[in-house]
Amino acid sequence: MPYKTRILTLLIIAGAAAAFTLYVLGGREASAKYDIPKALPPEEYGNIVIDRLSTKNGEKPVSFSHWIHRKKHTCRVCHTELEFNMKTNTTEITEAANRQGKFCGACHNGKEHDGVQMFGHTDKTQCSKCHNGNRSAGKDKFKELANLPKNKYGNGVDWSRAVEQGLIKPQHRHTDKPLEADIDKTLKLEAEWFSIPPAIFPHKSHTAWLDCSNCHPDIFNIKKRTTKHFVMSRLLAGEFCGVCHLAVAFPMDDCKRCHPAVVK
Amino acid sequence: MKKYAVAVSFLFLAVLISFSALAQTGVKKKRPRPQDYGKVVLNAFSEKAGLSGVVFNHWLHRSKFTCRLCHIDIGFGMKAGSTGIRAADNMKGYYCGACHKAGGKANFEACTKKNNSDYPKRCDRCHSLGKVVAFEYEFSAYTAKFPKERYGSGIDWEKAEADGTIKLSDFVEGLSIKKQQLTQSKELELVPKVEGMPDIIFSHTKHTVWNGCAVCHPDIFVGVKKGTTKYTMVEIFEGKYCGACHGNVAFPLMDCQRCHTKHVS
Repeated sequence: MPYKTRILTLLIIAGAAAAFTLYVLGGREASAKYDIPKALPPEEYGNIVIDRLSTKNGEKPVSFSHWIHRKKHTCRVCHTELEFNMKTNTTEITEAANRQGKFCGACHNGKEHDGVQMFGHTDKTQCSKCHNGNRSAGKDKFKELANLPKNKYGNGVDWSRAVEQGLIKPQHRHTDKPLEADIDKTLKLEAEWFSIPPAIFPHKSHTAWLDCSNCHPDIFNIKKRTTKHFVMSRLLAGEFCGVCHLAVAFPMDDCKRCHPAVVK
Repeated sequence: MKKYAVAVSFLFLAVLISFSALAQTGVKKKRPRPQDYGKVVLNAFSEKAGLSGVVFNHWLHRSKFTCRLCHIDIGFGMKAGSTGIRAADNMKGYYCGACHKAGGKANFEACTKKNNSDYPKRCDRCHSLGKVVAFEYEFSAYTAKFPKERYGSGIDWEKAEADGTIKLSDFVEGLSIKKQQLTQSKELELVPKVEGMPDIIFSHTKHTVWNGCAVCHPDIFVGVKKGTTKYTMVEIFEGKYCGACHGNVAFPLMDCQRCHTKHVS
């Protein structure tokens, strides 16, 4: 084989190897890369089942509904102050910690909280309120969301507008004062495909619920011009915006919500 | 053959690039448990010498000593493993051996050839990486009465020192020198570049209790004149400047308002 051909062959092999690594590590079928997860019933969107220790300890897993809680508290209360991680079963919640007033126990302590009698580990008759292993537990409360502004996807509720219109007033703190920043920058993110209009990111509607540190620097570093990996296929794999906007915040079926100029 | 080697290394490079492209993830990191915050593993020579790596928890030592004592007088570096401590150094009374020696401040000797009746139990007190060791002090029991704070180790160390819950020693016999202390109580107001971010109030008073001057100046901050050292939040997140301590041992960077305190009007 002449030398040039040999080098060329090797280059092709190298390229193929690189592509293969990306493909295997990505762990996704090329065709499934842009698939939006199957829609859940609105009353189940954002509901999770936590089972780190429960089953092992002979209890039923815990069902947690985001929509029940986000009506009354912003994301930062639990995900900053109460130190809940962003992936199910990664936070070391234990009964002992709850009893010490950490995690769920910060509010669910058997005492009164905002004029409401809270259940907690203090009352043995209340176990099944959380330990029920039922993802759609609390379904009967869903009708309480009926008067909130509508949205086509997720819980069927436009949570941002619900706050703007004052229909819900979620508490923004448990004990710690949130950062009093006034970040009002709207980002315009150009899409990688020429036919797709840019995505618009408003800081303001996010800081209404979140602290800076909920997103920065883990999910989005704050370096300029480093968002080249920030592509739709990775969002759909649960990274970047996909950390919240697949599981709890409005799902990505709602193209126009971020890419307002999309014709659909 | 040489050309083949070049081509093969190119192949490796290509694979490496695709790996690193995927390594940058956009997900939230898991927070360390309070007892693990400030935990460092020192393993420059341990495993090579057939021992487990040394697990050092800052919380126990910082409840008794200032940062300055170990990082200036004793000379520990600020990056785990960067000091390159050897057993022989400890035996001669350097590093851990400055206190952990016969008749020293600490109640057990580090790396000694004498008194080996309690071997390997004594070694395990430090060389505990990957082992289950019953320690003398357990985090939650030891810190039960300490004033609480939300993030990091969950302890308000500043308050613990101020209200006398902990009493910090700032002197080790044979290494520290009693000098007249410089005083600096100036509060600095630093204005962020990002519009809408509250100003930062930096308190020298709060920092000098633990650090004196030399932990920060002149290496981390030149410190001659305000504004001489230019830095950004990106660099702090990368572990430089304030990030040399905050994010590893001192309260973490997610506690934005602890520094960005001055409200924007």
